Amino acid sequence: MPTYNLYMGCSVPANYPNYEAALLKVAKALDVELNYMEGVGCCGSPNLRAFDYYGWLVVNARTLAIGEQNGHDIVTPCNGCFASLKDALYHLRHDKKDMKRVNEELKKFDLELRGTVRVRHVVEALYTDVGVDAIREKVTRPLDGVGIAIHAGCHLMRPADVTEMSIEILEEMLRATGATVVQYPLWKQCCGATVLPVNEALAVRLARDKLRSIKDAGAEFIMVVCPACGNQLDLQQFGIKDTYGEGYDLPVLFYPQILALAMGMDEEEVGLSMNRVPADPILDHLTE
Amino acid sequence: MTETDGSERPPATLIEPIDMSTLDASFRREIQSMPDGDELSACFACTTCTAACPIANQWEYKPHQLIRMIILGMRDEVLSSKEIWECLTCFQCQERCPQKVRVTDIIFDCKNLAAEEGKIPDAIRNLARELLEKGQLYVITADWEREDLDLEPELPGLSTEEFKTILRNTRTGRIVGGE
Ligand code: SF4
Ligand code: SF4
Repeated sequence: MPTYNLYMGCSVPANYPNYEAALLKVAKALDVELNYMEGVGCCGSPNLRAFDYYGWLVVNARTLAIGEQNGHDIVTPCNGCFASLKDALYHLRHDKKDMKRVNEELKKFDLELRGTVRVRHVVEALYTDVGVDAIREKVTRPLDGVGIAIHAGCHLMRPADVTEMSIEILEEMLRATGATVVQYPLWKQCCGATVLPVNEALAVRLARDKLRSIKDAGAEFIMVVCPACGNQLDLQQFGIKDTYGEGYDLPVLFYPQILALAMGMDEEEVGLSMNRVPADPILDHLTE
Repeated sequence: MTETDGSERPPATLIEPIDMSTLDASFRREIQSMPDGDELSACFACTTCTAACPIANQWEYKPHQLIRMIILGMRDEVLSSKEIWECLTCFQCQERCPQKVRVTDIIFDCKNLAAEEGKIPDAIRNLARELLEKGQLYVITADWEREDLDLEPELPGLSTEEFKTILRNTRTGRIVGGE
């Protein structure tokens, strides 16, 4: 049974327990063991990296060192955590001086980082280690080919030398549920979540550009794999209605929610009522 | 405006010429010594980064200009700019740079230098304070929602003390403490 260190971060458990619950249930059904990491805290987010690079490096090195102890890969459902852990590890592997300096700090916690641990987005781990075929076998009521647009999120995809991700992974995972992947021009564009604290109007504009591009391409739903992207694209639809008088009515779902539904789980199990733009229209697309 | 009034005027230019005497030549080396700054001087000003940037159209300083300003040594202008804090950290510029300049990473470096000098937007300073006080960005409030979904009310394995201890002694502590 594939076994992982689960790094949940702070946003998913506080803001999107529906994502967390759907993920755990899907993993169980796929015979994957996700063990919550012990004694870990927040990654600080890219915000911390912006004003305190060294502090950000140490807190993430500590998480990495804890994960390294049992030899299992660290997986996370949050792009912010993914980027922080992955970036910090990339830097430390390439900078011996900082690695030494950080390890001096880690001694205070009786930890040491060698840099052998692997960090992965949990959806990529399912794709690579369980495989699309095995996942498709568990899909008992596939979607009817309904068009879904994928917003992968910047920090999952770039910079590619750090993240080691490709969009095809998400596309194949979505197709395994029976959905059709809808391509749209602004697929790479940022959702705007990072700029929310310093320029809210800009953040709203970015979300709007993105939603319009998705709507114009004919998608009926949006799939995300990050709580920050999900929050921005889902919640901002209400702000956009206020500011621009435009309604997009595009429900935003976390990938494990879509998969869980296609695997036969019911809407309560995946907390579908917690998605802000009502997401129950997805139920009409499940075939029996 | 006439040409014949005899007064001396500076030449008409679209932008103000750069005052060479205010340049800080060490700025480029400072950035180059920071994480991911090495490739800085490989920039050949092609403006691809700016073409890739989703918000450059509303910036006074575009990404390629920020890079050029760093190379020239326009330290104050870069570190006091609103642009560095509005950068989405979306890495679109960096992904497309033909010279492998790590544009986004370099903007991260600039923010760190600006923060060290206290040039930090209030919203970000507040965020730093919250991180230090709560030990995390988001705290669980609706634990009944979690229980409804068969989750533990509290996050299993969570420990926030170490995070606070580390950040109290790094720049976060200085930013929050030195207000
Ligand atoms: S894309 Fe690269 S080389 Fe071109 S202007 Fe931007 S930083 Fe310079
Ligand atoms: S990372 Fe910043 S500068 Fe680069 S494209 Fe994105 S918003 Fe523009």
